Amino acid sequence: MTECTVAGETLVLLAEKAMYWPARGALFVADFHLGKAATFRRAGIALPPGTTSENVERLGRAIDRTGAREVIFLGDFLHSADGRAERTLRRFAAWREARKALGLTLVRGNHDLKAGDPPEAWNMRCIEAGERLGTFVLNHEPGEAKRGGYALAGHIHPAVRLSGEGETLRLPCFWFGARCGVLPAFGAFTGSAVVSPRSGDQVFVVAEDHVLKVA
Amino acid sequence: MKRDLAGEAFLESWFEANGWRAFPFQREVWQAYLEGESGLVHSATGSGKTLAAWLGPIAQWMGEGGGSTAPALRVLWITPMRALASDTVLSLERAVEGLGIPWTVGLRTGDTSSGERARQAKRLPSALVTTPESLSLMLSNADGREKLSQLRLVVVDEWHELLGNKRGVMTELGLARLRKWNPKLQVWGLSATLGNIEEALSRLLGCRPADAVAAAGVAGRVVRGVSDKRVIMDTLIPATLDRFPWAGHIGLAMLDDVVEAIESSRSTLVFTNVRSQAEIWYQGLLEAKPEWAGLIGLHHGSLDTDVRKWVEAGLKEGRLKAVVATSSLDLGVDFSPVERVLQIGSPKGVARLLQRAGRSGHAPGQASRITCAPSHALEFVEAAAVRRAALAGRIESREPVDRPLDLLTQHLVTIAVGEGFEAEAMKEEVRGTVAFRDLADAEWQWALDFVTRGGDALKAYPDYQKVVLGEDGWYRVKDAAIAKRHRMSIGTIVSDAAVDIRFRSGKRLGNVEESFIARLAKGDNFIFAGQQLEFIRVENMTAYVRPGKPGSAVIPRWDGGRCPLSGEVSDSIRELLELHVQGREDEPELKAIARLLKLQHSWSRIPRRSEMLVEQVQTREGHHIFMYPFEGRSVHLGLSALLAWRISRHQAGTFSLGFTDYGLELLCRERFELIPLLKGGLLSAENLLEDMLASLNAAELTKRQFREVARVAGLVFQGYPGQPKTNRQVQATSGLIYEVFARWDPDNPLLGQAQKEVLQRQLEFSRLAAGLARMRDAPVLLRQTHKPSPFAFPIMVSRFREKLTTEKLADRVMRMQLEYDKASGVLPEAPGSQLDLL
Repeated sequence: MTECTVAGETLVLLAEKAMYWPARGALFVADFHLGKAATFRRAGIALPPGTTSENVERLGRAIDRTGAREVIFLGDFLHSADGRAERTLRRFAAWREARKALGLTLVRGNHDLKAGDPPEAWNMRCIEAGERLGTFVLNHEPGEAKRGGYALAGHIHPAVRLSGEGETLRLPCFWFGARCGVLPAFGAFTGSAVVSPRSGDQVFVVAEDHVLKVA
Repeated sequence: MKRDLAGEAFLESWFEANGWRAFPFQREVWQAYLEGESGLVHSATGSGKTLAAWLGPIAQWMGEGGGSTAPALRVLWITPMRALASDTVLSLERAVEGLGIPWTVGLRTGDTSSGERARQAKRLPSALVTTPESLSLMLSNADGREKLSQLRLVVVDEWHELLGNKRGVMTELGLARLRKWNPKLQVWGLSATLGNIEEALSRLLGCRPADAVAAAGVAGRVVRGVSDKRVIMDTLIPATLDRFPWAGHIGLAMLDDVVEAIESSRSTLVFTNVRSQAEIWYQGLLEAKPEWAGLIGLHHGSLDTDVRKWVEAGLKEGRLKAVVATSSLDLGVDFSPVERVLQIGSPKGVARLLQRAGRSGHAPGQASRITCAPSHALEFVEAAAVRRAALAGRIESREPVDRPLDLLTQHLVTIAVGEGFEAEAMKEEVRGTVAFRDLADAEWQWALDFVTRGGDALKAYPDYQKVVLGEDGWYRVKDAAIAKRHRMSIGTIVSDAAVDIRFRSGKRLGNVEESFIARLAKGDNFIFAGQQLEFIRVENMTAYVRPGKPGSAVIPRWDGGRCPLSGEVSDSIRELLELHVQGREDEPELKAIARLLKLQHSWSRIPRRSEMLVEQVQTREGHHIFMYPFEGRSVHLGLSALLAWRISRHQAGTFSLGFTDYGLELLCRERFELIPLLKGGLLSAENLLEDMLASLNAAELTKRQFREVARVAGLVFQGYPGQPKTNRQVQATSGLIYEVFARWDPDNPLLGQAQKEVLQRQLEFSRLAAGLARMRDAPVLLRQTHKPSPFAFPIMVSRFREKLTTEKLADRVMRMQLEYDKASGVLPEAPGSQLDLL
């Protein structure tokens, strides 16, 4: 776990690719993409099982390590309507059932708009982007919040490239700019895009079990 | 089979009426065809093979009574390149017109318009020219059997081009299906001469049970085409070699000599090995001879089809004095006016040398002529070695691909989209190809499960319904969207994300890799299609440009294209150096670089065939070790990694690796003693495979190779123009898919296949093992040199070149070049042109 200060708030960055805000007991997760592998299978692309289980187990680990009371998904929780496969939904439902007291909030992202909201039984509060939570504004797509506040987002699956000693590495990252912070994609079956941070930005890469500050 | 002579009499009288004589080999082919035989015609140069295969079925039809209407589809003509297909149609049509028969010839490739397809759907032409992919596509049509079961003959043109890759296996699978529909189907291959011509034939014939062969009374026949064509092979040797570079591959040092050579011939083809080199040479020629604007052309695979067609037409009509080309002009189309071929750098292989030579001298009585223009000093040795191997008839084999499971899954879906299949019958059909002769039951079951359940039975997903087993016991694809997507992704060629290059007016110039465009900023100049262009912006995978202003410009570097030295050329080089040391050779190329060879011999040694030369040098950078197996770049890459890994187990350290076609380099900070390591099993064959995989970040290489496997197996969906948005949800990079498999299904056979392909294709593992054995058996000749030797220098520079991206590093290499030239007593006047810094 790596602590950092963003917009005057202390945040904890987890190698699970989640971010914890101790002041509120909230865990932030972006781009969960539940049902992505199922979507592929539906289209005739044979992927091995395991990604959904890994996702919920890792999420559980992040909650247990931090003691979070609430999880806020910063968009793209569900991958697609096709991905709402019975087995996948059952897996998540079982997880939810075991953690009934946990507050779940979903800031609808572009994928969610097409995939539809999660089943009612999961008891997730679904909101539009732009809601204020203390210092922060809950968004999906990165960018400056319109009415002040520090925006938190996902969407772009940020990564950075590191080079040296004749080797280059591409690693997912947390990227905090002046007015907006972007989380790495949480989903086990998600890609990433290399971003170009500006000077003054804070960048933390996820290197296996560690979160390391690189800028 | 009884032969009807009427058809033959018709052909003979046609030849006679035109005052021609059929070549004996042509007669042999059509007679064998009329006897019901299949076979393979090979020759180094192309002339007459097409007609040989084409006349058989025509004679057969005449023998059956001929008639005034065109027969429905009888001949399928498979060609490796779409660009060749239309030319083939023309030459088949020419013969038909000459013979005055009503046969029709059609074209079916990815370029065929939907209107033409619709016409063909109504009534197929007598002969259809197509590609392996389009054949596969036809097999995925529900009426494939109805349309194709009347075929008498399949001709596989330029079979050598397909044999060594998965497209060859795709052809084998297609032939197996056609034979199933018509067991009497005959197949004739046309090929350049290869080292493994019998194997090439067997792949076309498939594995038929011995009794079936006996019943048919025919095996395959190998026919050698005419080869009385004289081939002249020589090398441009400049008057003075004082300023000739020791390394680099642009080779503009030879510009004046090349200009002179072009001037002395009516029409010349200038071959380069890579596209960037073609662009550089085209620019170089225009700068040397501005008056040649409009008289010389440029041809490579990234240029727009219209540009290429214009150049091809210019060559055919004799309008162009010279064309600078890459392998894009290796095949097909006869350019009769071409008198001479120039090869910039080395052709790297005997077959390629002969193939390229054959593009010249088509005029009657003229010889083919190919002349090498070395781009650095050691390529003089290579040029002589390739010629010697060619004269000795030592031509490379093309190793066919064995059991590619990714392609098997693709083929199963293709057939399931089409007619459908029954499991047992399909298994036997697949095993009827040589490629899948040894397919294990477990492999078959895996492939079947993969396409029906998405994995083995335990992991079955109800939502996965690609291929569905019906109650009638047939496997079919039922989902229209899956069928459509599959039809769009049939094929084995992985294309890089390519960005179109267009003027703002919309005129398209061609395409380049996305990664090149990504590095450009607005206003940057680059050279493409022989023009200096200014980059404006990228929009929807199109880079808009305008004519640039003269000044500095970069040239795109396309990936791939550079082949490593072939085994035959390697052998020939080792042999030639041995003869040189013995004073028993008399090659002009070696005379030309006598000074350099002498220098090598006095500083270090020219390695004899039975010796393993190892050079140790200390520089500011550290401790260098050079070795010279002459086994080609990919083997040296593997070897250098292997040796470094084995050394680092004894003595921790970081190595930097260098490799060229001639040798390899290990560089590390600390000096270490090599002899004890050599004695301690550094070159041992023990644990070779394990060490090899461990030494090269094998996972990374496999991940890259998985790109092709994933594409063929349908795990990634290659985008296509006008792609509907709905597909975006099921797009992922092959790297991501690889990670999912590696983590959650590490035993998946597709991962194993990617690893096998890395070993066989990228590292040439069997050649590496043989090279290692030779090094092990040879006495070590250890030389400490005070400077890197002439043999070592190119290896050292090649390592830098991989990293050379900034001016600063470039300056560094320049300084090295100067230093070494001083050391050898040669002072270059303009070192700037000597290295490939782009």
